[in-house]
Amino acid sequence: MMLWRRIFLRIGAGIGALWGAATLTFIAINLTGGDTALAILGGPDALPTEQVLHRVRSEYGLDKPLVEQYARYLWQLVQGDLGESYTLRITVIKAIGQQLAATTQLSLCGTALALAVSIPCAVLTAKRKAWIVSLASGLELVLSSTPSFVLGTLLLLVFSFQLHILPATGTEEWQSLVLPALTLGLPVSALLGQVLRRELDDILEQPFIVMARARGMSDAGVRLGRALGHAMIPLVTMSGFLFASFVGLAVVVETLFARQGVGRLLVDATTNKDVPLVLGITLLCAAIYVSVSLVVDLLYLIIDPRVRAS
Amino acid sequence: MDFRRLALSLIMLPLLGGGLASVLEAGNSGGESENSNYRASGDRFRYPARDYSEQSGGTPGGTLKVSVASDTGNLDLHSISHTNAEWLGRILYDNLVYLDEQGEISPWLAKSWTVSPDGKTYTFHLLDDVTFSDGSKFNAKAVLVNLEHMRDPATKSPLAAAYIDPYVDGKVVDEYTVQLNLREAYTPFLNVLAQSWLAMESPKAIREKPKELGEAPVGSGPFVVESYTRQQGIKFVRRKDYNWSPAIIKHSGPAYLNRIEIQFVPEATVRYASLTSGQFDFTIDAPPQSIAAMRSDQTLVVDRRIRQGNPFRGIIFNTSKPPFDEVTVRRAVAAAIDREGIAQLAGFGELEPKADFLAANTRFYDPAFQNVLRYDVAEANRLLDQAGWTQKDGAGFRSKGGERLSAEMLVLQTVSTSAVPAAIQSDLKKIGFELKLVQIPLAQYADRRAANNYQAIGGGVWHTNTPDGLYIVYDSNEITSNRRIGQNISRLQDSVLDDLLQRARQSNDPKDLADLYSKVQKRLTEVVPAVPLYDNYSIVGYKSYVKGIIFDTSHNTPIFTTAWLSQGKRL
Repeated sequence: MMLWRRIFLRIGAGIGALWGAATLTFIAINLTGGDTALAILGGPDALPTEQVLHRVRSEYGLDKPLVEQYARYLWQLVQGDLGESYTLRITVIKAIGQQLAATTQLSLCGTALALAVSIPCAVLTAKRKAWIVSLASGLELVLSSTPSFVLGTLLLLVFSFQLHILPATGTEEWQSLVLPALTLGLPVSALLGQVLRRELDDILEQPFIVMARARGMSDAGVRLGRALGHAMIPLVTMSGFLFASFVGLAVVVETLFARQGVGRLLVDATTNKDVPLVLGITLLCAAIYVSVSLVVDLLYLIIDPRVRAS
Repeated sequence: MDFRRLALSLIMLPLLGGGLASVLEAGNSGGESENSNYRASGDRFRYPARDYSEQSGGTPGGTLKVSVASDTGNLDLHSISHTNAEWLGRILYDNLVYLDEQGEISPWLAKSWTVSPDGKTYTFHLLDDVTFSDGSKFNAKAVLVNLEHMRDPATKSPLAAAYIDPYVDGKVVDEYTVQLNLREAYTPFLNVLAQSWLAMESPKAIREKPKELGEAPVGSGPFVVESYTRQQGIKFVRRKDYNWSPAIIKHSGPAYLNRIEIQFVPEATVRYASLTSGQFDFTIDAPPQSIAAMRSDQTLVVDRRIRQGNPFRGIIFNTSKPPFDEVTVRRAVAAAIDREGIAQLAGFGELEPKADFLAANTRFYDPAFQNVLRYDVAEANRLLDQAGWTQKDGAGFRSKGGERLSAEMLVLQTVSTSAVPAAIQSDLKKIGFELKLVQIPLAQYADRRAANNYQAIGGGVWHTNTPDGLYIVYDSNEITSNRRIGQNISRLQDSVLDDLLQRARQSNDPKDLADLYSKVQKRLTEVVPAVPLYDNYSIVGYKSYVKGIIFDTSHNTPIFTTAWLSQGKRL
C-alpha cells in the first residue's frame, strides 16, 4: 500500500508541476511583448491586410484579455486539446506527434550509448594505477566539456565528409542515427563515467569490500558483484535526468544533423512566437521530467534497500 | 540532491554552444553579387537568354537529391510568404502567366488575354487540356476559386491577398474564358500572377479539404508530393501526363527526373560538405562562405544570380522621426557608409557594392543614378555641419544645443548574425554619429514597426518580378495603417514619388514606364529613404552531372522540369 500511496502522491505533484510549467510559459511568452498576430503575419516578408489580422486575432482569441486567454487555454488543456499551431496550421498534438518518434529514438540511443560506454569504463578504471585514472578522467573531462556542435562537426568531418562511412543528414535510415547518437551520448557518458568512478572509488575502500577480497573474491567479482550495485544510485538519478533533458540537447544535434525532431520544432516555434506550439512542447518536456523522476523514484525501491525499509 | 543540480548545470553547456554555432555562421544572411559587368552604363544588366530555356533534350530517369536551409511548414503557397515558395511553386504548381527573359508577360495556363482600355478588366483565355493531379479540371471556375482562396481571411494569407488587393470579382465567360474585374488600373497584376505565391491549386482540394492543403497540396505542376515530413523533407514524384510548361522554357512533355527528394539542412557547413561528399546532388541555399571552395572544385557548379526587385538595404530610415526626418542627415549617413568595406566584410571578397534603389536586372532599371549616393566622408561631414550638428561632445559625437546626434537601429534577431549593422555603426562613428543597435526578436520587431516606434531598421529586402516593388516599399499608401501592415518602413511620404509610382502602376506603355521608373529612381536618390548596399543573390550549387538546370524568369531560382542526370547517375 505504501508503494501505491507513494505513486499517487508523485502523480499529484507531477500534475501540479505540469500546471506550473504551462502557467509560467504562458506568462513568460506574453510578458516578452509583441503582438502575436503581427508575429504570425507581420514578418519582414509579409503584407497582411487588416481582415486577415482580424481573422487571426479572433480565431486564436488574441483579442480577448490575457486572463480570459489563460482560462480558455487551461480549459482546453483539461480536455486534452493543445490547440492549433499558428504557423503550421495543424494541431499541436499532430505537430509534436510527427516529430516525437525521431527525438525519442535519438534520446534512447543516446542514453543507451552513454550507459554502455560509461559503466564498463568506470568499472575498469576505478581505483587503478594513477596514470590509468588520469587518462580516463582526462578524456572524460575533454569529452564532457566539448560543446556538442564541436563534437558533432568533428564526427561529421571524419566519418561523413572524409571516410564517407555514415550519412551526414537525415532521419530515415538507421545509419543516419549513429553520429547524432554519438554526439548526444558521448559527453553524457563522460559525465556519468566520472560520477560513477568517484562513487566506485569510495565504495572500493569500504570495509565490506576489503572483507570480500579477504575472503578471496576475484577483482572482477568485487567490482561487478559488490561495488557496482552500490554505485548505481547516483547513476540512475543522473541518467534519468539526462534522458529527460535530451529535448533541450536535441535542439543542437537535430539542427546540426538535419534530423527531424521536437528540438528543431521548438526552435522554430519560439522564433515565430507560435504560442500553442511552445506551450505544447514545454508541457511535453515537463511531462517527461515528471514521469522520469517517478520512474527514478521507483527504481530506488529496487536498488536501494534503505528506501524500501523506510 | 546535488546530482540533479550538477546534471542540470552541465546540460546547459551544450546549449550555450549551440548559440555559438549560429554566431560562427555570421555573414550568411547577406547574400552577394556576381563579378559581372552590370556597372557598364546604358542598359540594365541581363543574364543570357539560354539560362531561362531548355538548350537540348535530356534523358529521363533518376532521383535528384536536394538540400535546402529551411522548411516552409506549409505547402499551400497562398497562405505563406516564405521565400522557398519561389522554387517550390515551380515544382508543384503552374501559374496563369509567366515572364519572358525580358520581363514581359507571356502565356502559361492562360494562352492569351486582353485588358480593357481603362485597365480594370482582364479577360483570360485558358488552355483547355490542363488537369490537377487529383483529376479535377483547370478552367475558368478554377481561376475564380483560387483568387477567392487567396483573399479569404481564413487562408490567413500574408502576401498573395495583398498582391491581388485591387481584385473585386470575376465571371466565368465560358468554360475556358474568365473575366476578372479590378477596382482600379493595376498593371503589375499580370506580373504578380506569374509569381509562385499566386499559383493555381486544385479547386476540388480547396473546396473539399482546405485544412489539408498545407500538407497534401494538389497542383497541376510537373511533380506531385509523395510525402512531406516537417523538419525533414519533401519527396516529389513526376507526373507522367504533364504537358503544359510555359512556352518560354521550350520544354514539352513531362519532367525528366523521376523523383526529387528534398531535405531541410539548416547548417550551412553541412549543406556545403554534404554536397561535396555526394550525399546530395544539389543545394538550393549554397552558403556564401563556401563559394570560393565550390568554385575550385571541378565536380561542382555554382550559380549566383541577382534577385529582382529591391536590393539589400543596410539601413532603412524612419523619415517621420528625428533625426532621420531631415533629408540632409539621411544623405550624410548614406555618404558615410563605406560599401566597399562592408562588401569585403560581408561578402567573402566577392560582393559588389550598389548605391541605387532597384536591383540591376529588374525591368526598367536605370543605371544613371548609381553614383549619386557614393561613399564620401568629407561630403557626409559637410552635410552634418550644414544641418547644424557642429558641436562635439566629450565622447567625440556631434551635438546640437547640448543634444547628441544619435539614433537607434532595430535589428531582427535571426539564427545567423550579420556583420553589416556593426559595420554601419562604426562607419557612422567616424562622422560623429552615434548609432545604437537594438537586437530584438520577431514579435517585438513586428510590434514596434507597426506602432511606428523606431528610428531606423537594419537590413531589408523585397524581391518581386516588377519595378512596382518600389511602390510596395516607398509609396505612402504602403505605410502601415488600419488597412494593412505595409512595407513602407521608411514611412516616406513624398508626393512627387507617389505621383510617379501611381502613374507607373496604371501605365501600359513601355516607353512611358521607362521614363516614369527612371524618374522614380532619380527621386529616391534625392529623398534617400534607405541606404542600398548591394544586390541580393540567390545562390545554388550542384554536381556537374546534373544537367539542364534553368532559372525562373520571375524569381531567378532554379526550375527542375528540364533537369536531368547524366549517365551512371540515373539509378
